[in-house]
Amino acid sequence: MTETIHVIAPSELDQGLREEIRRVAQATRARRMLVSRVMIALCTVAILITAVPLVMLLFQLIQRGLPQLNWAFFTTLPSTPSLLAPNVTGGVSNGIIGTLVLTAYASIMAIPVGVLVGVYLAESDSKFAAALRVISQTMAGAPSILMGLFAFSFILQALHVGFSAIAGSFALAVLMLPVIIISTEIAVVNVPNTLREAGLALGAKPHKVSLRIVLPSAVTGIVTGSILAISRAIGETAPVLLVIGGGYLNSWQPLNPVSALPLMIYSNAKSEWPSQRAQVWGIALVLVAFVFILSLTARIWASRKQQVRS
Amino acid sequence: MSEILNESIVELQLGHDVAGEFNSPAASRTWYHYVLLAASVVFAAVSIGFVGSILWESLPTWLHHSGTLLGGNGWQTPGGPFGGLAMIVGTLETSLIALVIAVTIGMGTSVAIVFLIPKRFRNIVATLVELLAAVPSIVYGLWGFLVLAPWMYKTVDPWLNSWPFARQIFGPPSQQFGPSLFLAAMVLGIMILPTFVAISREVISVVPQDLIEASLSLGATRWQVIREVVLPTSRIGLFGATFLALARATGETVAVALIAGGVANVQFHLLNPGTSIAAWIATEFGEAQGHEISALMALGVLLMLLSFGLSLVSRWLVNRQRKVLALV
Repeated sequence: MTETIHVIAPSELDQGLREEIRRVAQATRARRMLVSRVMIALCTVAILITAVPLVMLLFQLIQRGLPQLNWAFFTTLPSTPSLLAPNVTGGVSNGIIGTLVLTAYASIMAIPVGVLVGVYLAESDSKFAAALRVISQTMAGAPSILMGLFAFSFILQALHVGFSAIAGSFALAVLMLPVIIISTEIAVVNVPNTLREAGLALGAKPHKVSLRIVLPSAVTGIVTGSILAISRAIGETAPVLLVIGGGYLNSWQPLNPVSALPLMIYSNAKSEWPSQRAQVWGIALVLVAFVFILSLTARIWASRKQQVRS
Repeated sequence: MSEILNESIVELQLGHDVAGEFNSPAASRTWYHYVLLAASVVFAAVSIGFVGSILWESLPTWLHHSGTLLGGNGWQTPGGPFGGLAMIVGTLETSLIALVIAVTIGMGTSVAIVFLIPKRFRNIVATLVELLAAVPSIVYGLWGFLVLAPWMYKTVDPWLNSWPFARQIFGPPSQQFGPSLFLAAMVLGIMILPTFVAISREVISVVPQDLIEASLSLGATRWQVIREVVLPTSRIGLFGATFLALARATGETVAVALIAGGVANVQFHLLNPGTSIAAWIATEFGEAQGHEISALMALGVLLMLLSFGLSLVSRWLVNRQRKVLALV
């Protein structure tokens, strides 16, 4: 069946209609231009409204955070101020170590499983895979406090492990999993089919094609997704709040209570000591620096690899 | 790359019956397939455990006190009753106000970034927005708590209060030091703004240039192009961005816990302190025992239902829009 598309050229319109269109366009021109100007101006106002609080936030973070940073801030344990020494707040080494420990264990748990599931979703068209896809998208939007409740009821109540780093990293791993799964699936699906077909045509078995052709081509996307998942986990307070116990010591042990930078921000922001409230800005600055470095790394890495390929 | 090719060619030369292997169902039954499947089963088990364990812990509350939890006002520790109405209302109030703030301002911002900002700065601004979207929510909460709350208390609250009808909408000026539902909604709005703008900017910037130029060539003004061409073409992505922002706002915990004030009575006056589901779980869980843990888990179930419901609705809307677009 052939369809003929008849495009009406302006010259084919009859004279009266052309005149009518021109007349309406010109009659409404002033009003349309006015509406346009006003709306564009409103958009400009919107960008200013957006910029003011966000720029202020960043500015105040640096302005108030930077003076707090010194060697002792990173290397000593916190101490509670007293009436005799109201400005002695100590450092936050337990929080830095705790955050690193939590993120490391969570990555060890989440990244291998997440990548494998992502590859499975990309390569399989079974009903199970379709269900998992919906589940991972739903989990990706689930509030992070629920991961804390899950870790509490599973690790603490069911397995009888106490407040510990491992419980916190379990919660973070559950938070990271869907992010890693989704980004891996996208990265694998985006590998051009010609590569797969070339491999198969040369006689490689499907799993060899997947392992040695598809995965190496998708590795940029997978790593980017994993880094972004880590950067999200690092800043999360709610999931670890319920289960890590807020330890006051430096500890690398999975079964010990630990602290974390976001948790210290949360508890010290409400402190009655002005010195502790001031120190919070330093902790926030360190945390934001961690997150920015991670996401900038992911971004630069992704764009450089793209350039290499093209 | 050449390595892989070489190996495949070697395999070919060794005379494997390649075609037969590839087509047989046994071909996919390799160790590799089982490893992938095992990981997927682990993930499925984790998700079932996620829903199941929270439901299980909340079961006593659902069996005996479901009416109190859904309709009760006030939260009496340690014995109860544990009413969840204040948290439910607070969650809806804060997240909807935050969404309105974020979507109206965010839409304008995205349009301005894509069409008004000079090309040189566009990438810098886009990167900045995405970095701001990655800033941990606790930092927004901290800023709201230590900077915005005192400012609201000293400057904005009295000013709002001088408006006609302000008392009916916002209630009397807060007696507490700053914290209120309105402040929480504002900070949530500022927090989800970069998330919304990051996505909607991207969505708007991929609208085909020919569509825009065609519209301009027909004499449309800049705003007409944006309203008639750009926004309708990108509406799927804008829906997605809106729902993502809403999901972030409803689930936000620590920022709201810091600045909403943590009062478990239903508040319709927005300048009064209140709380939300997630924030209440975070503030109460530390000292909770027995029944209260179960009641907090039940609040968690409500939050889960809300989030899963949002995710369902957004998927449905996006699919429907895709179909509509496919027909056109």
